[in-house]
Amino acid sequence: MRLLRDLGRRKLRSTLTISGIAIGIMALVVFGSMANKMNALIGGGSKYYADKDIVSVGSMYSGNIQPLSLADVDKVAHVDGVAAATPSIEMMLDDTSATTMGTPEMIGGVVPGGDKGLESFKMDIAQGRKLVPGDTGHITVLGSDLARKLDAKVGGTVKLRKVDFTVVGILAPTLTAPDKEAMVPLDAAQELFVASLPPLIQSKINAADVATSITVYPAKGVSPETIKTRLEATLGSSYTVMDGKDFDEMLGSISVIFSLVLTGVAGLSLLVGGLSTINTMAMAVAERTREIGIKRAIGASRWRIRREVVIESAAIGLIAGLIGLAIGAVMTTMFNDLGRASGNVLFDLTLGTAITALAFATGLGAIAGFVPAWGASRLDPVTALRYE
Amino acid sequence: MAILEGRNLRKTYRLSKKNTVEALKGVEISIEAGEMVAIMGPSGSGKSTLMHLLGLLHSPDPNHGPAPELYLGGQDVAGLSDNDRTRIRARRMGFVFQDFNLVPTLTALENVLLACEYAGIKGKAARDAALEALGLVGLADRAGHKPAELSGGEQQRVAIARALVNKPEIILADEPTGNLDSDRSAEVLALLRQFNREHGQTIVLVTHDSEVGDACDRVIKMRDGRIRDNGLRAATPVMATEPVAVPA
Repeated sequence: MRLLRDLGRRKLRSTLTISGIAIGIMALVVFGSMANKMNALIGGGSKYYADKDIVSVGSMYSGNIQPLSLADVDKVAHVDGVAAATPSIEMMLDDTSATTMGTPEMIGGVVPGGDKGLESFKMDIAQGRKLVPGDTGHITVLGSDLARKLDAKVGGTVKLRKVDFTVVGILAPTLTAPDKEAMVPLDAAQELFVASLPPLIQSKINAADVATSITVYPAKGVSPETIKTRLEATLGSSYTVMDGKDFDEMLGSISVIFSLVLTGVAGLSLLVGGLSTINTMAMAVAERTREIGIKRAIGASRWRIRREVVIESAAIGLIAGLIGLAIGAVMTTMFNDLGRASGNVLFDLTLGTAITALAFATGLGAIAGFVPAWGASRLDPVTALRYE
Repeated sequence: MAILEGRNLRKTYRLSKKNTVEALKGVEISIEAGEMVAIMGPSGSGKSTLMHLLGLLHSPDPNHGPAPELYLGGQDVAGLSDNDRTRIRARRMGFVFQDFNLVPTLTALENVLLACEYAGIKGKAARDAALEALGLVGLADRAGHKPAELSGGEQQRVAIARALVNKPEIILADEPTGNLDSDRSAEVLALLRQFNREHGQTIVLVTHDSEVGDACDRVIKMRDGRIRDNGLRAATPVMATEPVAVPA
């Protein structure tokens, strides 16, 4: 195509300009993929918390977990409008597990069937079986990432907090928090939880009576907000009740930070890539002054000259976008492969991200071409013709 | 019938804040269809400027004198916008320059096709017209060559093909032989004459070369921004010792 020949006139210059934009687009693609993953996690979390309330003492997320007792569960279950209340224990898999981006690795102790069938978040089992009512002792169902990290097989054994557990099932990937969780029966979790407490507190606690949070399912037609108000009234101020809105607020700030980072990257690459392209096109126009003069003289309209410049400029953007996208795709695939073994698949390069990156790059190129295009079209044909 | 008629044509160029050049001081000109006319004169005589006005590259100045008039094929083109003038140039005129002025990254064929594109000729019709034009100048077999691969004479011939491809009412040539040696000059001149004689193509040339002038039907002589001699002779010769400018 004529266009490619024009770009090939100054190969080094075209290459440098394209590389500049490509790097920016690559960063956009990588960060965008990370943001996709973040948003999926947050979205998953938001959906999960939307239809229930969680009761705890102190703040579950600050790690400052004070135990509840099963008597509390009973109290909650009898509050008007509550369809089901089930205790659970959430604790970190190990104390150094605060490492990864995304969610930390957890042990989740649950009463299988305690939701009375009201839990809407469905997790599919990939191998083996889920926990069922009556399950007790040192058995576990692992999330997909954790299973991979621990190299677990159904029927095999894994060590959770130095205690052997038999793996009875492995979940299919959910792309959200459960992928990093080891689900165990409540009694096993109680045992591990109490064992992790300082000895002074251990002696004061009955292990069989302990929970870290209560999941409350509203009856049909009753909103979680209503239940929250009633629970707060019943339980008093030393208990914390959180509903979907509270979680959205908490998770929302993470989402905002990511959006800011993404916008920052986009803005920077726009600035750098755009300026570089404007410069390149301005130089190209200056070098082709004579040629533009000829074309104008033999009848090319101003609009046609502008169009030529903008199209060439947009092509630079598109080519750079394709290269940046390709490199970004390679990088995210590589990072994902490296992280998969430790359960950290952090990048999700969606079709939407890819198309946005290409459209952005092409648009950037086109816009960068506007000013040089305008200048080119305003050249007087006669003076341009004589330009040396 | 007059293909190109102009009256009261003036043009002043502003080179800088204080420096203006009155290139054309009031010119009257009339070119008949089928004529081959040369415009000659020393540097600064305004011949190139006149060419630019006739080629609608610039507009005649409306001020400092009676309103300028310019007609192409009977159509008033004196006060047209840049877009309109560009359209007319594309569809009804052809240009040949001293420096050949072919686009270096395009082949001979593509250079001629450019003129088709601007004239609104597309697709197969454009390709056929371009090949025909190249054939007329004897370069059909060099259609795929870029200007760098062509000699000066060949480049000029491609330029002529480009000027012809849209079947223009008039071809304007600014020093078409200026950059050619005498043999190539003669070739180019012969080509132009051929188109003029055989196809009735109206051609206006600006030239320094008296040989070119001799090959034309008429020579317009310019000096200091005015026409001194429009080359027309009265039916009965006037017995005078000096050449007399005869009104058209």
